[in-house]
Formats: sequence, structure tokens, C-alpha cells
Amino acid sequence: MMNSEERSLLPTSDIDEIEGLFRIVPPVPNGAGVSPSTSDSVAISVGGGRAVSPASVPPVIPTSVAGGGIGVPSASSPVPTAGSPPRAFGFTPSPNTLTEPVWDTLKRDLVRIAVNLRQVVFPNPSREDPGKALRDWDLWGPFFFIILLALTLSSSASQNKAQVFAVVFAVLSAGALILTLNVLLLGGKIIFFQSLSVLGYCLFPVDIAALLCLMFSNKWARSLVVLVTLAWSSWATYPFMSTAVPPARKALALYPVCLMYISIGFLVLAND
Amino acid sequence: MAFEGYQNPRTALFHVLFKGLAVAFYICCKWISSSFVIHFVVCVLLLALDFWTVKNVSGRRLVGLRWWNETDENGESVWRFESLDQQAMEQLHSKDAWLFWSAIVASLGVWVLFGIVAILNFSPNYLLIVGIAIVLNGANIIGFFKCRKDAKAKLQGLATEAMVSHLTPKIHNLFSA
Repeated sequence: MMNSEERSLLPTSDIDEIEGLFRIVPPVPNGAGVSPSTSDSVAISVGGGRAVSPASVPPVIPTSVAGGGIGVPSASSPVPTAGSPPRAFGFTPSPNTLTEPVWDTLKRDLVRIAVNLRQVVFPNPSREDPGKALRDWDLWGPFFFIILLALTLSSSASQNKAQVFAVVFAVLSAGALILTLNVLLLGGKIIFFQSLSVLGYCLFPVDIAALLCLMFSNKWARSLVVLVTLAWSSWATYPFMSTAVPPARKALALYPVCLMYISIGFLVLAND
Repeated sequence: MAFEGYQNPRTALFHVLFKGLAVAFYICCKWISSSFVIHFVVCVLLLALDFWTVKNVSGRRLVGLRWWNETDENGESVWRFESLDQQAMEQLHSKDAWLFWSAIVASLGVWVLFGIVAILNFSPNYLLIVGIAIVLNGANIIGFFKCRKDAKAKLQGLATEAMVSHLTPKIHNLFSA
């Protein structure tokens, strides 16, 4: 009844797996992604919409998908005939992240930073659905922005440079942590790292303000720049924070965020 | 020659290089520069480079493991692990693997020691650097240990399934013959 010898590469979807148990999945995309299929291979679309096509129909081992929370869905990729590069187990966004060249990995991370920055800080349609917007969070972007801000503020400080640097860095990191905890404790549904990532990316406008303030020393110009970028930062954080918490608690979640940006704004302004 | 016996000498070198540089710089920082800002930035940059290298390059090349964290459609946070299949795992050199594991554990140990020294010296500034080092090294260690456990479980699962799928047709034949 069950042809266990000829089963296709299974992604993480439960339905696909159950289907595959009873018949060979025909080479028809199930809507989320397509890839060319050869006569004896099958194209499946993986949950994230990226297609994986095995080179041949191998004996495939049944997989188990762990439920929600911390889960490790496992789908084995085809074990090809002899003399091939090592294949990988596990859910692979592309078939070969284990054996890809280093430059690919680096490029992927850099592109991710740019994409995340654009999604968080600049107006774009995916802001309507914040949960989806920062699906691919990363902490490298925030890391660079915090370091840049601390460096800028420290270099424009006339004395106590070391203290300024350490204080800015500590305040920003601790602030991001505490704000995230605040949202979580208010009953918000946001991933810890996603929130850290958003708060970090929203420092980008403040970075710009700090760099511009390095150049001008006119008090009014600096105030204007800081005000504009503060508004920009708050606008950037707003959808992420507000959709995460229940509506009654929106203000409670947003107020500390604005407070933090205002205090950083003062730091930037007061730096002489 | 120290590099004999390694299957991936360049990867092994980089695996140890950034860690070693970070530790060395932390120890010698006062002789190189008098500014704490420089110490901090250089140390943290080296630590970040090391974290990225271990997670993305040496983990893959030396032990065939990879881990990362994703958010799925329901907004849940999911840990993903990748590992090479059995055939490829056996091709991995044991010396590479030994270097990998011992380096990351030793590095964490050294930074914990530095942390204790910094606490005893009452220098919160340097504690900041040590804190970051411990967080980054710790994250890699936890990730890779979890990944290795997962890889072992998968291999065992596979062995069981392979056995089952081999025996089933034989049993069918027994009853239909």
C-alpha cells in the first residue's frame, strides 16, 4: 500500500507529508513555489516559498515534524549516487548552505542587513504586517548602528571620551533589552530577538542625527535635525511595537520607547 | 609542521585566529593604546568576526554542523539545525573536529577568567567587553552542542528507519510467497 521506496523530498508541511505517504506527489507545484521537474523528480515548495528539487527519486526516510515552539523539522535531502558533494539534513533554505562558498554566506548576511534596514526604517508596503516584515531578523545591523552611534558621540565629546562611549553603549543595549522585556511582560506577542532587532535598526535615524551634529555646531540646526530624526525613529518603531501588544496597552509599550529615543536625542544634542 | 593532519588548514587557522587575536588584544591593550574606546571597538570587532566565522564557516567546514534561528509563519521562534549525512560525516577529519570543539570551549573558559579578574579589579568598562565575549562565545557553544545532539538523534532515527524499510518488504515476501 505504501510505496516507501519512491517518496519525494518532504518540506515541513504536514499535509504534504501525509500526502506523500500514500502516493507519489505529482510534479505539480502546490502554489507557493515552482521549480522545473525532470521525468523522475518532483518539485516541492517549501514552507517559505522556496522550491527544492531533488536530482533523483531516492529511498527516503519518513520524517517527523515537531510541533510549534522550539521545533526541528527534519526532511532528508536525497542521498545521491556516489561521488557527490556532501548533502545536508535539515530544513535548508537553499539546497546547499552547508557546502556553499564563504562569499555566498557573507553576501547573504549583508543583503539581509540591507533588506531589514529598508523594511524597518523606510516607508514600504510590508510595514502593514510588521510580524512578517522582520521575519528574517538579524542582530548585525543593530550591532553596527550602536557601535557607530557610540563612536560618533564619543569622538565629539571633549572630555571623558571613554566614559561617554561606555555609557552610550551600555544604555543602548540595556535599553533595548528592557524595552523588549517591557513588551513581553505587557503580554505582547513578539519574539525577543525580533524586537531587539527592530529597536536596533530604529537607531539608524539617530545615527544620522549624530553624524550631522558632528558637522554643524549651530544650536538651532542641531535641534531641528535631532527633532526630525527622533520623529523618524518613533514612526519606525510604532507599527512593530503597537501591533505586538493588546490595544489597551499600546501607550504603555510605546511610551518607554519614545522616552529612550528622546534621551538619546538629548545626548546627541548636548554633545559638544 | 603544525598544519599537517588537518583537512582544512585554512579554516582551522581562521577558527583559532580571531579568538586568539581577541584574547591577545585584551591582554595587551594597555600597551598598544591608551584609549578605552579603541580597546572596546577592536576587541568587540574581533569577537564579532570570530562569532561569524565560527557560526558560518568553521562550523560547516570542520564539523559539518550549522544552526540558526528563524521565525515561522505563526510568529514562533524556531531553531533550525543542519548537519551532513552519515557518509559525509565520516569523511570529516577527527583532528579538525577536535580543534573546533576544544577551541570554542577553551575560549569561553579564558573569557570567564578575564571576567573574574575584571570583577576583582572593579573595572566595569572592561567587564562590558568580557560580557560581550561571553555572550557571543556562549551562543555559539549552545548552538553547536544543540546542533550536534540533533544530528546524532537524526542519524539514529535514520538508522532505525532504514532498518525498518529494509525489513518490511522481506516480511511481506515471507507472507505472500
